[in-house]
Amino acid sequence: MTQISSTDLGLPGLRSGLDGVPSSGEKQTGKDFTSDQEVRWCPGCGDYAVLKAVQNFLPELGIRRENVVFISGIGCSSRFPYYLDTYGMHSIHGRAPSIATGLATAREDLSVFVVTGDGDALSIGGNHLIHALRRNVNMTVLLFNNRIYGLTKGQYSPTSEVGKVTKSTPVGSLDHPFNPVSLALGAEGAFVARTIDSDRKHLTSVLSAAAAHRGTSFVEIYQNCPIFNDGAFDAIKNPDTKADAIIPLVHGAPITFGKDKVTGKPTKGLIRNMDTGAIEVLDLGPAADQYAKDLLLVHDAHNPDPSTAFAISRLTDSGYLNQTPIGIFRQVERPAYDDQARDQIRTASQAATGAPTDRLSYLINGGDTWTVV
Amino acid sequence: MYSTSEASPRTKQVRQLDRVIIRFAGDSGDGMQLTGDRFTQESAAFGNDLVTLPNFPAEIRAPQGTIPGVSSFQVHFADHDILTAGDSPDVLVAMNPAALKANLSDLAKGAAIIVDTHDFTGRNLTKAGYATSPLDDGSLDEYDLHRVDLTGMTVEAVKEFGLSRKDAARAKNMFALGLLSWMYGRPTENTVEFLSRKFAKVPDIRDANITAFKMGWNFGETTETFIVQYEVKPAAMAPGTYRNITGNLALAYGLVAASVQSGLPIFLGSYPITPASDILHELSKHKGFGITTFQAEDEIAGVGAAIGASFAGQLGVTTTSGPGVALKGEAIGLAVMTELPLLVVNVQRGGPSTGLPTKTEQSDLLQAMFGRNGEAPVPIVAPQSPGDCFNAALEAVRIAVTYRTPVMLLSDGYLANGSEPWQVPDVAELPVIEPNFATGPNSTSTAADGTTTEVFLPYKRDEATLARPWAIPGTAGLEHRIGGLEKGAEHGNISYDPANHDLMVRTRQAKIDRIADSLPPLEVDDPSGAAKVLVLGWGSTYGPIGAGVRRVRKAGYNVAQTHLRHLNPFPKDLGDILARYDKVLVPEMNLGQLSMLLRAKYLVDAIGYNQVRGLPLKAAELAEAISELVRSAEGKCLP
Amino acid sequence: MTYVIAQSCVDVKDKACVDECPVDCIYEGKRMLYIHPDECVDCGACEPVCPVEAVFYEDDVPEELVHCVEINASFFTELGSPGGAAKIDTSQRDAPVLERVHP
Repeated sequence: MTQISSTDLGLPGLRSGLDGVPSSGEKQTGKDFTSDQEVRWCPGCGDYAVLKAVQNFLPELGIRRENVVFISGIGCSSRFPYYLDTYGMHSIHGRAPSIATGLATAREDLSVFVVTGDGDALSIGGNHLIHALRRNVNMTVLLFNNRIYGLTKGQYSPTSEVGKVTKSTPVGSLDHPFNPVSLALGAEGAFVARTIDSDRKHLTSVLSAAAAHRGTSFVEIYQNCPIFNDGAFDAIKNPDTKADAIIPLVHGAPITFGKDKVTGKPTKGLIRNMDTGAIEVLDLGPAADQYAKDLLLVHDAHNPDPSTAFAISRLTDSGYLNQTPIGIFRQVERPAYDDQARDQIRTASQAATGAPTDRLSYLINGGDTWTVV
Repeated sequence: MYSTSEASPRTKQVRQLDRVIIRFAGDSGDGMQLTGDRFTQESAAFGNDLVTLPNFPAEIRAPQGTIPGVSSFQVHFADHDILTAGDSPDVLVAMNPAALKANLSDLAKGAAIIVDTHDFTGRNLTKAGYATSPLDDGSLDEYDLHRVDLTGMTVEAVKEFGLSRKDAARAKNMFALGLLSWMYGRPTENTVEFLSRKFAKVPDIRDANITAFKMGWNFGETTETFIVQYEVKPAAMAPGTYRNITGNLALAYGLVAASVQSGLPIFLGSYPITPASDILHELSKHKGFGITTFQAEDEIAGVGAAIGASFAGQLGVTTTSGPGVALKGEAIGLAVMTELPLLVVNVQRGGPSTGLPTKTEQSDLLQAMFGRNGEAPVPIVAPQSPGDCFNAALEAVRIAVTYRTPVMLLSDGYLANGSEPWQVPDVAELPVIEPNFATGPNSTSTAADGTTTEVFLPYKRDEATLARPWAIPGTAGLEHRIGGLEKGAEHGNISYDPANHDLMVRTRQAKIDRIADSLPPLEVDDPSGAAKVLVLGWGSTYGPIGAGVRRVRKAGYNVAQTHLRHLNPFPKDLGDILARYDKVLVPEMNLGQLSMLLRAKYLVDAIGYNQVRGLPLKAAELAEAISELVRSAEGKCLP
Repeated sequence: MTYVIAQSCVDVKDKACVDECPVDCIYEGKRMLYIHPDECVDCGACEPVCPVEAVFYEDDVPEELVHCVEINASFFTELGSPGGAAKIDTSQRDAPVLERVHP
């Protein structure tokens, strides 16, 4: 009937997030995934960049658009499904992960995406997000983090920095923010990544890895809100500062960042403090010796122990963002809830013999019965 | 030993009764629910008609020996068809002073009381609030009191099995069951078999329980304390296969049946809550029918996952009680807006807030009707007896699937845990439910140049039902987006157009109203045809209302009765029926919620009979109220 | 779809649009600015800030300026998709048609 499409994870014998989803068989383009609805975000919104990246990345998955489902909650980013010519549901505030859980568990042949924001996923829907991650239901969660409430016109969000002056906090907010990556790692996330709206190449590569991962893939996307929080990510976007602000994570490579103006070589790297076990930034300087280089932490996204990934995630500024790691923090294999749920049903169904109506009759006639003639 | 009454000593008499009400009461750890359930199964196997009423505290083990910790199980069995668990027990088995004190007020003078004297210690009497022992102070003189050292005799009987004293004493409920089984000539094979099965892995406990049970029987047969054995003959029932069933089990079976009859796999998203959890437990056993049970992180996730599964083309179900429905309200609104099939089962309990988790009430009717923002009509179906939960579940699913709508199924704590003999239906006669998934375009679109293309309109409606097509992901060419924002008619894209909103709100209401076209006429029970008073109920009050009406008729009055399975929409002929009677009495376990709806819709002077005591209505009290109304309607003087 | 810059930008090059573009897809040529048709995400931030109203959404380009769509695209025929204007200096070149007209 249909071919099974799968993406090589580079790890032998593992299931792809797209296993069981029929392949398209023919070449598709971004246009095939673009709906006829007019896009209604503010001019300059980072959501446009993500939409474009997603529209161009979906055809690359090689699956049919009728097998793709986008579920969103409420917020600016949650309008996303309307602009994709796939199946979709713009649901209610914070609940998209639960709806996606039902959908993904019911149907192995669907590729399920959740589009959510920092308010939707971390405030009103925090409970559903952590439980989806814990269960590891096969879906990809795109969390658009603009560190502000946009749709309700500019109140602080659970990722806003302390002291943020907004409409609801005229003398500064008091709430300490979440670090979404730390949260996801703490919630047993098996695939946890962070990327940036304006870096299409990086965004696309992370999305591809996320879709290919079997289980809940969590992708935090830094997304600029030009109306209510413009400039929140300037440090990582400005060509003059971004080399020092972004700590790129590449599996298997030493973690270095910064750029020497003369040599173009990295000026900083991450090391483990052998006394405290913490991950710290080491200044390599222009003449970094071999000893310093040998100390550099090599990123291992496949490490079963999430401690190091968590420690790296803590290098993100909780105030104004001047430094943050970007990339795939963690990518490990863990059985997916929906696969196991379907396996249980498959096993029980195979053990059950006879027509369903006969089995129903047997069931309701079970227990202590008596007959009146 | 315990086969026939002929084997009894000559001194024993056998007395015929047409019906008996027994209440087993003890500490919540005394196994009273199990005892009652076994007695019920024995009576069912014997062929009596019966109705049961379990009543237990919310705490799993409330402080031992106290009144809040008392758990009871009432069984009413008869040689004729009966409708309620009975108002007042003929026999009370009280395992301790608290059980006696908590239940005594329900007994008529002359009722039999069997107490376990072993537990009437000074400490237990104090805990129950007795200054002096009621066994000695003459306060029980007007009752037929039987003092039996149940615990002592049980411990003595099972000592050969080497159990600890505590474990040995725990078998006292089986001793009591054996004694009662002798008194009422119940067949015992099933209970012995049940105990063998239940305790198969712990032979000591198994043998102790079976021995205690048999010794209880033998004690009845040989003791001088009990000189009368009673006989309640089997009831005449319609031919068929019967089993005793609780409402929650029947409801779960109804859902399995709905799945088989529709070909839709069930997806149950649920968060545990009393008194609905049994349905989750039961359905989780039936994965062989393709049923997925998802224990969600909270009530909202339970309904959310069910909606997701419905979007995927399965039958989304969520089971809960009133507090859970309060949390699910927004998601149910989403299902109203997206017009997806969804079944919401509310096993009602005493409210508001946490209320009385283990007690029954019908106070969520208006919540079911109106408990959502906006104009969000939801059909409501209510079962009328434990066994009827099976058919009600099937009917609720029929409506949900046919009309693409969330449906509220309103059971309650009494139906959930109460039981009755249930005539097992013939599967071949169950209704078939057609999902009718959309498979292709349903309209054509004409471009400016006159060329036409086939298109899919996700909100184009069926002319008869006004239901929209159910197009599930994976269906090529039918890709569409749904959501909570208002939809444009037919095309289903977001629309803020004022006229469109008005049209869509009215259309969603009209779709629910259309369901009435598919409902059978109401059955009105008015044997004389001369009644001036109609008693109208819904849900679990069916039994007490029926029993009350019988009493009233027996006293020579005319009264009509009808009972609603569909609360929204109402059956089409309800207005005409109400208009036929001078007075309409509406008994409910709330402060008049159906009365309010009837008054609003039909402008009738519905008279409420309302109790919120966490217990079923009492037939005798209700009969009084009915009689009074009949007398005033017929212009007769009060006696 | 994409946004395009029309000829009123020629010899103006105000660059207000470059500051607004969230994805850095507006490239500076010798005489005018060009929007990369594949890198543009259609967000519309550039359109209102242009002092000479040179920016149009592709569908809304006036008939007499439709050729500008091709002009924008042709600037990138050789360049391909650099993935951001900051990564490359293009200020000494122009679309072929401009170079032909004003050699």
